[in-house]
Amino acid sequence: MFRKRKSTGIGNRVERSTSQKNIPITLEVLRERIDNMDDAKIIEHQTQNNKLFVLIYVGTLIDDARVNEAVIEPLQGCVNEKISDCISVSEITDISTLKEAEKKLMLGSVLIFDTIENQLFAVNLKNTTGRGIETSETETILYGAKDSFTENLEQNITLIRRRLPLTSLKSEKFTVGSQTETKIILMYIEGLTNPDFISIAREKIESIDYDQILDSSQLAAFMEDHNHSMFPQFQQTDRPDVCAFALGAGKVTILVDNTPFALNAPISFFHLFQSPEDYINRWIVASFLRILRYFSFVLSLLMVPIYVALTTHHYQMIPLQILFVLVDTRSRLPLTPFWESLLMLLTLEVIKEASLRMPTKSGQMLGVIGGIVVGQASVEAGFASQVLIVIVGISAIASFLVPNYLINKANTLIQFIILILASFLGIMGIFMGIILLFVHLNALTSLRQPYLAPVAPFYGKDWLDLFIRGPLVWMKTRPEALHPLQKWRYSRRR
Amino acid sequence: MSGFSLFEKTSSFNGVYITLMVNRMQMLYFVIIMPVFLIYPYMIWIIIIVGLLSQINIFMLSKWFNSNYASRGYEGFAELFGERSVRLLSFIGLGFILLKLTVITLGYVEVTQHFIFPSLNTNWMILFILLICWYVCSHGMTPTIRFVVIAFLSTAWMFLLLFNFLFQPFNSIHDLFPLLPYEWTMKSWKAVVFIFSALSGPEYLVLLAPWFNTRKKVLKYMTIGNVFTIFEYVFLFIASLFFFGPHYLEENRFPMMEMMRYLESPVFERIDMILISVYLVNFVFAISIFMLLFYGATRIALKRTKDQTTKSGFAVCCSIVSICLFINNELLWKKATNQNILLELEIWAGALTYLLIPLFLFISLRRKGRV
Amino acid sequence: MNHKHAKIIFVIFVNIIVLFGCSPIVEKNLVEEIAPVTFWSIQKGEDENFRMSTLIPPLVKEKKRLLSVQVDLLKEGVKGFNLKYYRELKVGQLRMLLISDEIAAEGISPLIDTILTDPDISKRMYLVIVKGDFDEYINSQLGVQEDLDYFLYRMLKHYDNQGKMTVVNLHEFMKALHSPTHSPVLPVFEAGNENFQYQGTGIFKNDKLIETTNNLEEQIFQLLDNDHFLKYLTIRDLSFVLGHVKADVQLNIDKAYSELKLNVQLNGRLDEVGREYDLLTREKLSSFESEIESYLEKQTTEFLKKLQENKVDPLQVGKYTLGPFSKPLDEKEWSDKWGRMEVKVDYDLKLQPLTDIKND
Repeated sequence: MFRKRKSTGIGNRVERSTSQKNIPITLEVLRERIDNMDDAKIIEHQTQNNKLFVLIYVGTLIDDARVNEAVIEPLQGCVNEKISDCISVSEITDISTLKEAEKKLMLGSVLIFDTIENQLFAVNLKNTTGRGIETSETETILYGAKDSFTENLEQNITLIRRRLPLTSLKSEKFTVGSQTETKIILMYIEGLTNPDFISIAREKIESIDYDQILDSSQLAAFMEDHNHSMFPQFQQTDRPDVCAFALGAGKVTILVDNTPFALNAPISFFHLFQSPEDYINRWIVASFLRILRYFSFVLSLLMVPIYVALTTHHYQMIPLQILFVLVDTRSRLPLTPFWESLLMLLTLEVIKEASLRMPTKSGQMLGVIGGIVVGQASVEAGFASQVLIVIVGISAIASFLVPNYLINKANTLIQFIILILASFLGIMGIFMGIILLFVHLNALTSLRQPYLAPVAPFYGKDWLDLFIRGPLVWMKTRPEALHPLQKWRYSRRR
Repeated sequence: MSGFSLFEKTSSFNGVYITLMVNRMQMLYFVIIMPVFLIYPYMIWIIIIVGLLSQINIFMLSKWFNSNYASRGYEGFAELFGERSVRLLSFIGLGFILLKLTVITLGYVEVTQHFIFPSLNTNWMILFILLICWYVCSHGMTPTIRFVVIAFLSTAWMFLLLFNFLFQPFNSIHDLFPLLPYEWTMKSWKAVVFIFSALSGPEYLVLLAPWFNTRKKVLKYMTIGNVFTIFEYVFLFIASLFFFGPHYLEENRFPMMEMMRYLESPVFERIDMILISVYLVNFVFAISIFMLLFYGATRIALKRTKDQTTKSGFAVCCSIVSICLFINNELLWKKATNQNILLELEIWAGALTYLLIPLFLFISLRRKGRV
Repeated sequence: MNHKHAKIIFVIFVNIIVLFGCSPIVEKNLVEEIAPVTFWSIQKGEDENFRMSTLIPPLVKEKKRLLSVQVDLLKEGVKGFNLKYYRELKVGQLRMLLISDEIAAEGISPLIDTILTDPDISKRMYLVIVKGDFDEYINSQLGVQEDLDYFLYRMLKHYDNQGKMTVVNLHEFMKALHSPTHSPVLPVFEAGNENFQYQGTGIFKNDKLIETTNNLEEQIFQLLDNDHFLKYLTIRDLSFVLGHVKADVQLNIDKAYSELKLNVQLNGRLDEVGREYDLLTREKLSSFESEIESYLEKQTTEFLKKLQENKVDPLQVGKYTLGPFSKPLDEKEWSDKWGRMEVKVDYDLKLQPLTDIKND
């Protein structure tokens, strides 16, 4: 199961850049490199003992005031032999290659060129201004922690570290993307997380060779085992508590710079139905809500296809009174049940998508118009039957109960596929669709771990936190499906 | 994943899978038509006695699982019997697998035609089912075996629905009388063979032995599966006796389905349609396993075990299966007078394989052990 | 061609099939094109064998009318309906089969067999025997009452397994018909010009209707066999009504099948007394009880005698001859033995009086 990790990924890139290595770093070369960059600044200064130094930095990445305060002022008063001794900023590095110099420059360092000793230093003064920590908007909960990740990688790590103050919580750094040079942090708890996950994740990150990685979902796309699946194989979350929980259970977390969404893996299909609030509510209530979520997922998938199957093939299955109403209303409609439902579903998707893109106020209006026009008017105009409107409405509302947004979108597509099968083979078609779905999920993997994990393969103990959310005191072990190195959650146990 | 490797062992399965597979392989088409062959209440004892017989077989099979030949799969067989005879055996096995595959598929398709789509051209249904199975198979053996959990979870609860029939007002305990046989005819012997054949299926697990990792407790796990099956058979039979009474039972072709059909649900009428469709999961699982076995056996018979599995080879095998199914469906199954041939053949073939394979393996292990 | 291409082509293939309406299923069941009928009424035809009728359309708003055809064969009738009406009539929702007593007297096996072979028809369909002209009744009620057929069905469903009225569905009828000892029963209704009312239980010998219970027999039958419960047990001869009567019946047949002991324990409430009675003391109440007991015993014995003479067994007495370790009787043996069996009936009545009784 465990492949030897390939260790070639980064090496290649280093070799490619060796041609630049030999060019001697001179001011001219540097000037040439930053030619046509309007925001690049070159400033010359003299120290008190008349040494000339040149500062090169990108003004938009660095605060001028900080350059003054941290670099220029100390240097001007510098009496030491070495320039680097005068600067009190912690991160100061010697630079020997041009490539390195460029990289530092573009990531927000001030390059200091010592003209006498022909030496180049980089002082990291990266502008850390960004948005403050805010409440998560994608995974809102009533009770529980309100902080969420931001675009700032260091801050995100801090948020996790505050929750897991462990020296065994490791964070490995990778750089991915030939253009973006995106920093990626792989976090895991050493001695707990299964080493296979770590090595697979490492291997996958290292083998990425692409120009731009701007978002964690892009990274996920490169790390997935199955690119053609509709199901997300990584859990994306912007909640540090969710990440801490996942790490503690034995998963790995991947943070991507400039993205407020972390990736957790390996996940299973059932993770898509778990909400952080499950662990805050009373366990019976949480279990009920979780079952309700599964139920509404099934409902949202199947209600419309069942309507089509029943009205097209199996009138026998419809309760008698509803059948009379259906015969009555459907007789006046121009479209067959399949086309009727297909168009209604498409319209609904259009409204959903439109209200998402609209500013909040107009979005509300759109909802009202959509509701009235599509619901009431289409029945009166004779485009759709009331029964279908009710069904489409319920299934649309039900689809919002699934906490994962990505699955929410996949939901509609699956619904269409089952709809086609239903119109074709009735109930049989619906169940064939479901079987195909199961077969697909059964073959899916996330970080090479089975996607339907505690069910198939079967791990009985994990069922305590699957369809129900068992009481925390009963969950004595970490999920078996993750094969953690430390089985027990209780520390006094062994 | 590189290439198209169907028989790659990516993970090994524990004993629970053996339990589930034993159980699900025994709950295929024959359970649907079971009461028709039994009819009389005293046949309850036959189910139990044949169940015990099946337990002996399972004991012998577990000995095979415990031997060190089992985990090596083909090489193990080759070492025990010699390569030539293994090839011959697998060639014979092809026929048995194909027969079993044909009967369960056609049987199920007939049920769907009878209850869901009376005007359906059954060849279409066969095609769809095979397409699904092909999709299952194409993921390889490991996910297919893993699929048994889903098959079990989505079908095993069904017999609970029939608890209803134990408490219907028109039933009485007298429907179960007499409990002792007052006459013993050829038909009763037939019933014995039928039940034995219905309980067959676990013998195919020996071919899947390399995928399982449990060695010690395999007897325990297989026994649980077998006992659960027998319980289900007895329960279903008693329920059908209560529901129909022994005299009316004879007249029905698909008593199980008729019972399902009689159930009332608060939302839909005719929930038999839903239940039959759900039961497809079990068939898809079994057919997929048999299709993979069929492909594997073909490879052994053609001396291709060392080569990489190929998509085209697998496709050829699938098309052989489907063509065989279509032909059998057109020529043998559709005509009521002919239908019994295939069924009869499978009853005997199933009983034969279930009797011989464990015995054969057990004896050859013994002899090998002594030498 | 790789795996993904195969998938895409498969999806396109399925889409083409669906979009062009090339379905493997020949039969069309689109709800807007069919007319699901809820009942068939079968009566004796004038020239042909049967006159079949049903109500169409099944719609809520359209005005209903009665369709009837004269046919030799049942399924011919279905075809006949379709030729007469613009929607295809479907039997998948058939809930009731009303058979006239004339046909029932000749035997209903051929009819039932035809219906059984149709996979669309549910085994939960109720069977009803109708005396008189049902068509006439329906025609007279068309303007008066909407959804008559549906409410008729609801009535049968309501009384199913509730006592008070015999309600039998196809499956129960078939199970009884095939049992060697049990005679099937069906409810008998009388249809007149204005009303449609429950008459009693029709008792069948094999598949032929031979006897319909009268009022008192019907009540005894309900107590002894059908759910053992009656909401009102009225006895005109003694002019009183018992309410919420529950019966606990115990049957005993001796080993030689020559004697039947029937012990019935009745629990009920005295609901109404139509004559002068002083039931305020224990003594008087118990004498009243024994009066009723002896009356019921006499009537029950007579009812059973009548059944014995006809050699029918709707009370399922025969099943008590079955034992776990004995050879069952076949049909002929049983009917011989049943005909000659001596019957002893014993009632034990436990009454709750109208008012509290005095202890003296």
